[in-house]
Amino acid sequence: MAVITAPLMIFVLGIVVSFYLLIRSRDSPGEEGTIGVLNASMGFSAVGIIGSGWTWAIHNSMLVGSSSMCATEGLVQCGSVIGDPQWNNLFGIPWGLIGIGSFAIIWFFVLSIRMDLHAKWSSNYVNLLYFVCLAGVPFVLWLVLVELTMVDGAPHICPYCTVIHIALLGMVASAFYLRQRKETGSWS
Amino acid sequence: MSRRRAKSLPKGKDEDVRTMAGLFTAGIISLVVVISVILAPIPQVGPDEGNLAPDFIADSYNGASWSEYRLSDNYDWDWNGSSDSKWFLIYFMDTDCPYCWVEGDEMSQLHSQWSDRVNFLTIAAELSIPDHDSTRGEIEAFRDKTSYFGCNSDRDDCIDRPGTPNNWPYVDDRSMSIMKQWGLSGTPVSFILEPDGTVAWNKNKHQGQGGDGEELSAALQRLVGGQ
Repeated sequence: MAVITAPLMIFVLGIVVSFYLLIRSRDSPGEEGTIGVLNASMGFSAVGIIGSGWTWAIHNSMLVGSSSMCATEGLVQCGSVIGDPQWNNLFGIPWGLIGIGSFAIIWFFVLSIRMDLHAKWSSNYVNLLYFVCLAGVPFVLWLVLVELTMVDGAPHICPYCTVIHIALLGMVASAFYLRQRKETGSWS
Repeated sequence: MSRRRAKSLPKGKDEDVRTMAGLFTAGIISLVVVISVILAPIPQVGPDEGNLAPDFIADSYNGASWSEYRLSDNYDWDWNGSSDSKWFLIYFMDTDCPYCWVEGDEMSQLHSQWSDRVNFLTIAAELSIPDHDSTRGEIEAFRDKTSYFGCNSDRDDCIDRPGTPNNWPYVDDRSMSIMKQWGLSGTPVSFILEPDGTVAWNKNKHQGQGGDGEELSAALQRLVGGQ
């Protein structure tokens, strides 16, 4: 199975487009810039949700043998990472399912703010979004450490997992810029 | 006197959009979950009969050295019920458990009878009971029947264990992680797995409360012998 697959390319494209939107909008003044950063956030969180769903499907298929959804040999592969019974879950919950739940919370905050930029609660939601995204960073660092040093036959790099990790880091950057816009009065 | 006119700030919408955002988020998540499950259905994993046995990676002793052992690496995923693939007997024990000590003879007999059709695997746990401290040396001595004082709750030399030396792998589960994964709290407990890893027989179900009392040897005869 090739490492570069159509789903992976779609996820990477989603990340690239989101970063493009973020970079283009972060310094734009007023509401237009804010909406641009929010659109980038929606891109990152969409990649996070769909990518997590994909890794959860890989997880389930690997429980009943090898998966046709990702490569299982070499340095860059997900078989030895998502298929490792010791590290592919947190207290029995697959990481993919945790990713879906976490990005769902992020998506909800972003969508709420996007739907009503001037709501009274929008400042609180921007702060909450920022802290929720930051809370995910230690988990990303932990998972990178696991795939590089702890999984069966380490080191391995799981491409789908990496895309999701980058999506979270993109969300941290987006939430940071949103917060900055609120604080500096350039929100609208 | 001039009056300063307050700059009018943009106001939020009259309706609370958060309910709509929540519903939309729930819809998206449901869709992603449904598509994921369609792509790869969630298998039932657990120690109950009919479920896929919980997989594990741990160190195992083969009589010469310790090496990594993954249960699912030995499965025949294409098993269709008629091939000659080997079944599995997973035996959870503790080198200090008196019942496991006594069962040593039965395990040796079962192995001599079924080893050509069944892969034997012993999981050596360390129960949280006084005098149940174990070491890798003790596990090796229990398996090989070599001299090591400390087996059977520190009452016996391992060389005196009933039965013959066991020539199948012993997995080190002194951390009790596999026991926990399989939902077990005591030993000895045995499981028979089909060649594709499906639990075919769980001792606790048959010999526990309300069970039919079927013994391991009878279960092997029924499941493997009848093939």
